[in-house]
Amino acid sequence: MNNITVIQDILSNFFFFAGMFFVFLGMLGLYRLPDVYNRLHATTKIGTLGAFGVMMGIVIKLGFGPMGIKAITVGLFLLLTAPVAAHMISRAAHRHGVGLCEESTVDDYGKTYCLINSSCPVKHEETIEDEHDQM
Amino acid sequence: MNTLNLLDIALVFMVLSIIPCIHRIIKGPTIPDRVIAVDALATVIVVMLGVYSFVQESVFFMDVALVLSIIAFVGTVTISKYLDEGVVF
Amino acid sequence: MKRYVLYSIALGFVWCFVHGVVSLSNFLIGAMIGPFLIRPFKELYSLGEEISYREKLNRIPKQIHYFSILIVEIVKASIVVAKIVLQPKIDIRPGIIAVPIRAKTDVGITAIANTITLTPGTLTIDVSDDRTALYVHCIDIDNAKEIRDSIKDDLEEYVLEAFE
Repeated sequence: MNNITVIQDILSNFFFFAGMFFVFLGMLGLYRLPDVYNRLHATTKIGTLGAFGVMMGIVIKLGFGPMGIKAITVGLFLLLTAPVAAHMISRAAHRHGVGLCEESTVDDYGKTYCLINSSCPVKHEETIEDEHDQM
Repeated sequence: MNTLNLLDIALVFMVLSIIPCIHRIIKGPTIPDRVIAVDALATVIVVMLGVYSFVQESVFFMDVALVLSIIAFVGTVTISKYLDEGVVF
Repeated sequence: MKRYVLYSIALGFVWCFVHGVVSLSNFLIGAMIGPFLIRPFKELYSLGEEISYREKLNRIPKQIHYFSILIVEIVKASIVVAKIVLQPKIDIRPGIIAVPIRAKTDVGITAIANTITLTPGTLTIDVSDDRTALYVHCIDIDNAKEIRDSIKDDLEEYVLEAFE
């Protein structure tokens, strides 16, 4: 057993365990965080990075054989589609009427969206354009 | 470290990760919560299939993982579009 | 016509990656099937516009630089959110703020929205109707102006260089 194999083993095992731990943390975030948008933060970022890490571990261990190439494909696909799915769900949730949690401070999107559907008690001075002028 | 150990540890981690997802699917207060939980569950199963494919040294489970991730993405987009606009297409 | 060639090359690489063996014969099979696949969906690909190969080639180093920065940002983002998840009592002040952007094209806006989603503590929700601002959900707002400045100065520069 030469040196390169040992380094490969150590690196790939490190990537495996880091990835699995990150997936576990993401799901813990899904359990603990207070509302839909914060839960999306956890699953989108940590879960995706964990899955990508596990796939990178497989690539490091096996090289660019058929399985390594397919692992890269799965990892890149997860990394590319997770933001799009998060974007779709959060937009649908906001338009479906899911509010932010109690600790929230500002909600610019709610103001403009309420202005479009004009049955909302938000005042007209608080639009986003005014905020642009102040900046 | 032999490969059997790796499979055991991976499965324990993944089962621990699945428990919060199932809690969120059953109890989640709103529909988007449940959609997120199903999406996350698909990610966990993809990771599990990747590790299983690596331990069994069989490429076919990696194909299953790829197809499952595609189906999870399309399903998420479809459900959120239905929630948003009331129609899918 | 030039777009057919570019998309065929891209689809050839996709064929190789899904097949599992990267070789010249696989690449040629994928690139030959490509045009027949593009033809029924030609409204999606904007085939009418003229492009030049030289411009596309000149952008490749900048795109590689952008992806390397993106990987570093993803790792940082995960560590930030993981710290929040591991706190004994979760103490966050989330909120949705509007962030003005300078990108104009569809590809530029998509790239910057995905970049914002994968970077620390921010998640894109929607584009405004006149396509000048993004609505961003932040997990912990200390100072809204600071977040806007960090997006404008750090991330958007690379996106504009790479995709516009």
